[in-house]
Amino acid sequence: MQLRVAIAALVTALSSAASAQVTATATTTYYRESGGGLDQQTINPAVRVQGDIRDRVSIRAGWEADVVSGASVAVVDAPGSEVDAVSSATQWDDFRNVVTGGLGVRSDYARLDFDYTWGNESDYRSHSFTLRASAELFERNTTLSVSYGRGFDQVCNLAQPRAQEAVDRQRLPSSDGCFNADDRESLDLDIQTFAGGWTQAWAPVFVTQLTLQAQVLDGYQGNPYRAVWLGRTAAQENHPERRARYSAALGMRFWLPPLRGALQLEARLYRDTWDVSSITAEAAYEQNVTSGLRVRGRARYYNQTGAAFYSNDYALAPRGQFFTGDRELSPMSSWLVGGRLYYDFPPGDDGRVGFLGRFAIVAKFDWIRFNFRDFDYGRVAVPNDQGILGTLGIEAGF
Amino acid sequence: MEFRSFSNPLRLMLLTGALLSMVGCVTVRPEDKEFLANPAMTFGSSGESGAQEEHVLGNREGSSGGSSISGGGCGCN
Repeated sequence: MQLRVAIAALVTALSSAASAQVTATATTTYYRESGGGLDQQTINPAVRVQGDIRDRVSIRAGWEADVVSGASVAVVDAPGSEVDAVSSATQWDDFRNVVTGGLGVRSDYARLDFDYTWGNESDYRSHSFTLRASAELFERNTTLSVSYGRGFDQVCNLAQPRAQEAVDRQRLPSSDGCFNADDRESLDLDIQTFAGGWTQAWAPVFVTQLTLQAQVLDGYQGNPYRAVWLGRTAAQENHPERRARYSAALGMRFWLPPLRGALQLEARLYRDTWDVSSITAEAAYEQNVTSGLRVRGRARYYNQTGAAFYSNDYALAPRGQFFTGDRELSPMSSWLVGGRLYYDFPPGDDGRVGFLGRFAIVAKFDWIRFNFRDFDYGRVAVPNDQGILGTLGIEAGF
Repeated sequence: MEFRSFSNPLRLMLLTGALLSMVGCVTVRPEDKEFLANPAMTFGSSGESGAQEEHVLGNREGSSGGSSISGGGCGCN
């Protein structure tokens, strides 16, 4: 409630400021995976408000939440029993609050932005900031940008002796008592992200964007609730504490004048020090149907190798001191197809849409299919290998 | 050319300078930017729905995401 009052106060303050233009967006995304005993769904409402003062200063604030419910397998690859791991998966619910705030200043050819994000859930806390600068060169045909982000995260875990061997560590049974009880501890995760971008207009119908990114993570990166069967016993998964991630992405936009639409192509290469490497390719076409109405369809393919320490069965094929039950670290691929509809209501003779300066709606739907070619729960293949993702949103200008 | 030759800061600066000089020769005049200004030609125009999609995929693929530095909300299994 306090947050809603704060956002309403911000809108009022910005609207009343001289020459201020305020834009507000509200979106809700629904994601669902279903199959076997591992149904999972996430509802993600988000509200953003931005005020631009005299075209030089931007102030923004936002709130979003993750309402997650589903089932998870507590011990991956446990030996078969009367009931398989998936059928005996435990139900869980989680709620995550995220609040953001930011400030931007710009001149005719450059801008500087600072954003802060605070995230909180029962077993995870995070603070992060991002500093971003960009400049337009050569008659605005070239845009160069750099950014630096720093995150300070805390993960709840079961308090266990420091000298304990990884194979003796127990998984966290629940989030009860996290950050308060004596039998819980807080583990740090520091994240630094460096990025650079180069956007170039090559012709009146052709523009590209190259993005390079490096990220260094230092701290606890496992799932404290998950354990892995090691042969004689199960232990909490044990990931390396340092991970450096590198990626390069190239995007292209071609305008097709006869069709009044744009072909959009993206490719991304990724590699990290856990030996995960991946390629992502995406092709999309966006059509201007009528004034204000745009329709977009797309297909995306993703393929990755597994982490160096990943094994589908640590009892038979251990991989040194680290072990994981995370299917995201196994060799996998995915397909995504989807579409988006965006409608910007045309203004009336007075240049307004009713009492608003601008009003638009967006609807988006994606279908995702995952292929885990070297991961299973004991003898059971991943049952929830398909997902649907839908978003509804509105944008309003005041 | 060996990769390590790019590790020399002077050569890297010269290469960057040469690249920018070349890019400076590419000029699209303001009156020719009608199509470039269309939202379909703009990078990052998917806005909030794109950020939420990245959040979902970042929790389900080992190398997706990364552009957002705030962790948590793993929703993992």
